[in-house]
Formats: sequence, structure tokens, C-alpha cells
Amino acid sequence: MDDQLTETDDAALMSKVRRDDDRDAFAVLVKRHQKMLLNFFARSGVQYDCEDLVQQTFLRVYRYRDRYVATAKFTTFLFLLARQVWIDELRRRKRYERLVDGLAAEPHPEFAAPDAADAVASGGMDLARALAALPDGLRQVVELGVYQELPYAEISEIMKIPVGTVKSRMFNALAKLRAFLEKE
Amino acid sequence: MNLEAHLSELAVPEAAAFRAVIDRLRTLPEREPSADLTGRILAAVDSDRGRRRSDPPWVHAPWWVAAAAMAAGLLAIVTLFAPPARRGTGPSPEMRLAWLAASQERDGSWDPLRHGGDAAYRPALTALSALALAQNPKGYAENIRRACDALTALQTGDGAFGGTGRALYYNQAITTYALAALRPQRPELKPALERAVGFMRARQTAEGGWDYEAGSEGNAAITAWQVRALACAAEQGVGGANVPLRKGLRWLRGSTRDDGSVAYHRGSGARSESLTALAAYALITAGKAFPELPPVGQHAASSLKVHPDARAGADCYRDYAKVLAFEAVGESRRADAVRGRMLKRQEIGEDDQWENVGGRLYTTALTALVAKR
Repeated sequence: MDDQLTETDDAALMSKVRRDDDRDAFAVLVKRHQKMLLNFFARSGVQYDCEDLVQQTFLRVYRYRDRYVATAKFTTFLFLLARQVWIDELRRRKRYERLVDGLAAEPHPEFAAPDAADAVASGGMDLARALAALPDGLRQVVELGVYQELPYAEISEIMKIPVGTVKSRMFNALAKLRAFLEKE
Repeated sequence: MNLEAHLSELAVPEAAAFRAVIDRLRTLPEREPSADLTGRILAAVDSDRGRRRSDPPWVHAPWWVAAAAMAAGLLAIVTLFAPPARRGTGPSPEMRLAWLAASQERDGSWDPLRHGGDAAYRPALTALSALALAQNPKGYAENIRRACDALTALQTGDGAFGGTGRALYYNQAITTYALAALRPQRPELKPALERAVGFMRARQTAEGGWDYEAGSEGNAAITAWQVRALACAAEQGVGGANVPLRKGLRWLRGSTRDDGSVAYHRGSGARSESLTALAAYALITAGKAFPELPPVGQHAASSLKVHPDARAGADCYRDYAKVLAFEAVGESRRADAVRGRMLKRQEIGEDDQWENVGGRLYTTALTALVAKR
């Protein structure tokens, strides 16, 4: 692989992928961001299929490469697609495993995350599980704000919610996790 | 605004408490990607580039265009080995088989990665494709022979056919089943079959099931497939299959609830049409030597619906299992209803929920296996 490519920024690499279908440039993007994405899915409570979801996300990056606008941050584009992969996966699993007669769907075992209230009540549960047990909307704000350190405006763009909602979700998420830690 | 600016707006004690939470979150251990993850992603992208070219022609073209495009290649096959194709009903069974034959790799296997699926399931997809071609054993004898050679070449010393996690168990069961089902034409496959059964026996849980999750007593999907494979192997005279077969059947019987439904794991509140159908079929056919088992399977089959909920999308796995279950209880009309919908979905190229696992190979092979010829 070209050493120069490994030092090229994400936007320039995506331009190469768009313009020249440059496989090496795409490989650099994959290597650079795969671990971050893997942990994004892992922190969502996925145990076994994280790498499949990472693969699906990069496949979408490739398929939708023409939609990427070089002025936007690549990570915004990446997390938009990762979030969509996650939503699609949840929908697929819920279709597959449904309780009888309209009861709430039980997640596939690979996606089993304890109920948020139970999670907080359970003293033996570790912080990672408490994080995974947060409602999706709260957990993703933590993921993007705490782990990826994205500005709230960017989180707002990825999650398609106002900045004020990002703030309130972050507050609620941290408050729930704090309560969990205090009960530990 | 970012997180730090947000925290600075809060009261000092609250901000300090939140910072402590954030510090704890950031010290949680992270997972490392597998060494081959980048390669798999790039291979999937490479596959995607060529995917539309390799899709069966009926997915992207009207019937008459597909027929015209394939006419030259299929003419000999259709003329020599197959009854005339039905008109105006999408791809004929012969077209599916011809496409599968044309998609076989040079080494005799089928590669799901080239058709939008996951490379980990290469043994299972090779096995299913070979089984589909075995519907016309004379016409595709050479393809089947190459497929069997490819499958036995994949087998390792311990009898496994490859893969990890769930792929390992699906590969093992589906490949063993295929080798057993194809054995009347290939008696030399018996040693491979015996090794495969030995591997399955070694991996069976004390309770009689199989699962890829440590500590689980069994997973209904994986167990139903192992039972099916073991029953076929036992019929072919593989003596080592009998004991794990009996234990597996007992586990399946114990997993069938009073209402006839079956879930992935015992004790789960969920129900699954696919798993209920697979278990029903296994109990009726593989359990036929034990008088108490077929009635349990029939009860499970009676709990199945012909039409899935409106929210349920295309699912070739579910439909395949339901056709098997309905036919096993002699309910041809219900089987035909499911089969008809399955054929229609493949005809119009509807996205199936298993596309990312088996790609177009999977939907085509399973559809071919239930299509009436």
C-alpha cells in the first residue's frame, strides 16, 4: 500500500474512492476506522456480529460514495451509515423473533440487552452492560459525544435531532450511568 | 458546543460527577478487530462491484429478456434433460439450476462472497447448491461430483468443514447432510461422512443440543440442522450417527412448547416460524423410528401460519422450512401457497433478509430445492 496514502486525510481518500474507485484509498479508510466502528457496535450490546455490521457499514460507504460531500467530515458520513446499519439490523432481528400475538418483540440472543430499569437495579452488572442497556437514543449520544468526541452540531446532524435534544439526551444518559455507579 | 462546553454549563458538583462517569466509560476495554477484517471488508466490496453482473438474469431483466439471454446456454439442457418450462411464471426450475451450475467455481465450490453473501458460509452454500443440482442428477452429474470433491477437500482432520461460531455449525450440518444425501451416487464419501458425524458427536451438549454459544445447552436452529444431517447419515449406514441423533431428537422434543412453537433457546418467550417449521420437519422425518415423535412434529406444524405477518419481509429460510414442514404432514395446499410466494419473491428480486449471509446463491438454491420440477 502506498505510504503516502496512509497520511492522506479522510476527505481526500474518499475523493479518490469516488473519482477513481481507488481500492488502496478505500483500504486505508477501512484500516483507519474499523476499530472505532467495531466498538461502536460492541458498545451497543452486540456480542457476536460486530464485525459483520462493520463490514455492512463499509459496504454502504462504498455503495453511497457518490453521496459523500468533501466538505463534510468523513466520520459524520460514516456514523450516519453505521447508525442506519444498526437500525436495519434491529428491524431485521425484530421481524425474525416476535412474541406471540403482538407482544413486544424479544431481541435476538446476540442482541439481547437487559432492560434499562433492570440494568440500573442490578448491582452486579458492569458499566459496559449498563451502557448497552441505555435506550438507543441515549447510548448513541454517549457513543458519539464521549467516545468519538464529536461536537454536538455533528451529533445533531448524524442523529437528525436538534442540538438541544443532544444536550438533554447526554445529560439523561450520564445521569443514569452515574446512578448506576453510585449503586455499585 | 461539545461535551466539555456542555459540562462547564452545569453546577460544579454535577459536572464533577459526570466527569467521573466519563472517565470510567473511557477506560472500558475496547475490542480489537480480527486480523482478517480489513481483507474481508475489501473482498465484500470487490464482490459488490461485480455483483450485478453475476446476479441471475431474472433479477434485473424482464422474463423474456432473461430467456433470450440464456436461451443459447440452456437450450441443450432443457431439451435433453428437462420438461418444457412453464410460460409466464418467472424463472423455470431449469433456469435456476442452470444458473447455479454456471456459478460454480473452478475448484467445484460455490463462493457466496461473489454473490453478495459471506465467505464464511462457503461449505454450506456449496452443499445447498449441490443438493439443488441433484434434482437433475444426470444433467449435473459432473457439477455434483466436483462439489463433493470440493467439500471433502475442505474437511479437516477432526471432521469439521470450516468456519467459526455459528458458521461452523451450519457448515457442518448442511455439508454433512448434503454428503449423506448424495452418497448413493458417491459411496466413496463414507469416510468423510463418518469423520463429520464424529465431529458433531463431540460437539453435542450433555443435554443433546448444539450451540455456538459457550454454556448453552442448545440452539433450536442449529440442533434441527444437525439432527437432519445425522438422520440422513444414519440412513446411509453411518453407525456413529444413531446415539447423537436420539439425543438431538429428545432435545428438540423438549424444546417444543405446548402450543407447538419453538424458540431459539429453551425458556425464551419468543417464537419463530422458521424454527418451529425446522423442528417439526426434523421430528416428523428424522424421528419416524420413534412413535411418540412424529405427533409432536405434527402438532408443531399445525401451529404454523401459511401467511407470515404483514410486517415480515422476504425470508427464504423461513419459507423453505415451512414448505418442508407442510409437505411432511401431507398439507400440499399449504405447502404450495408458501412455495408460490417464495417463487414470486425470487422472480421479482425482492431483497431477502438472508442476502448478507448467503447472497443470491442462498435464495436461488433454497428456492430451487422447493420448486416443483
